[in-house]
Amino acid sequence: MDARLSPHGKTASRVGAARVGIGGPVGSGKTALIERLIPAFAARGVSLAIVTNDLVTAEDAERIRRSGLIDPARVAAVEAGACPHTVIREDPTLNIAAADELEARFPDAELILIESGGDNLASTFSLDLVDWWMFVIDVAGGDDIPRKNGPGVLKCDLLVVNKTDLAPYVGVDLPRMEAEATAARGGRPIVLTNCRKAEGIEAIADKILSAVLFR
Amino acid sequence: MLRVDSLLGASTDHSLHDRLHHLEHHGAVEVVKIAVADLDRRRLLARTEKGEEVAITLPRDQKLFDGAVLLLDDKRAIVVRAGEQRWLRLSPHSASDALELGYHAGNLHWRVRFDGDDLLVSLDGPAATYAARIEPMIEGGRVTVSEESE
Repeated sequence: MDARLSPHGKTASRVGAARVGIGGPVGSGKTALIERLIPAFAARGVSLAIVTNDLVTAEDAERIRRSGLIDPARVAAVEAGACPHTVIREDPTLNIAAADELEARFPDAELILIESGGDNLASTFSLDLVDWWMFVIDVAGGDDIPRKNGPGVLKCDLLVVNKTDLAPYVGVDLPRMEAEATAARGGRPIVLTNCRKAEGIEAIADKILSAVLFR
Repeated sequence: MLRVDSLLGASTDHSLHDRLHHLEHHGAVEVVKIAVADLDRRRLLARTEKGEEVAITLPRDQKLFDGAVLLLDDKRAIVVRAGEQRWLRLSPHSASDALELGYHAGNLHWRVRFDGDDLLVSLDGPAATYAARIEPMIEGGRVTVSEESE
């Protein structure tokens, strides 16, 4: 693990970077979404840093560091070691320390994206850790996911339905899935994405900007 | 859009109370209503009852609360009013029912408060959604349910 509790991580009484959580099941496209959001925020002049969570490796952090999209030093890895939701909800200390550390090293950072390890539909973020969070599901995971009323799907600030391009190949009626997700969430926002082709990414970047950076 | 990047204190603070009281007499204390579930956020866009947008960005060691003072000058003040908190009161009928209910509440990560023999569950969605999780206990007459607000 390269994020540790340290005195440098102590929170100062100043307004720091906005913190946005990205949760969702394994393989839904959380890291791919981040890889698309990095240039979208760069184009908007937003200084970015990233925390990734993995079970017992730094796989996602290494992938983003190697991507060439962002200074590798701006990417921190947290190894959850156990259930991923424990370090973003029950005890987010490690992630708070990682974000604090990034803020201390990069005072210009305006936004920190915190990617959870892949988890189940019950996974949610503590608002002690993030200011706003999204939950990523994908059409290949099954069009019944929105109907299952998982807390991740219901409580997130933004639901992202990824891999829309796969819908015809996995027998998913995308408009129906979107309608059911909208109904389950009581009309709260949903964005459809195809991260491979960067579809839907601009809408997400704009939503984050207005929700936590007030631009 | 008004930007607030720090809390000035509580409306009950001795140092703020007199000035707030004076402004209140002139109808110059505005209220921002914030849902209980949003009080934990350090960043959010809210709106006063008069319709002015307020962009709140707080340091990590500050937290919104009912009565938090966001703005105070000679002409006006803006104070946070927390939305209503709803609770689901669950009354187990026996010690073994209480034991099982406690297990479910923990497993479901519910936020709870204890009140004598009852468990109060903090609601941030429809009560029926919560009750559905312990339906066998309710249907079996082992737990009685009622909803209340504060």
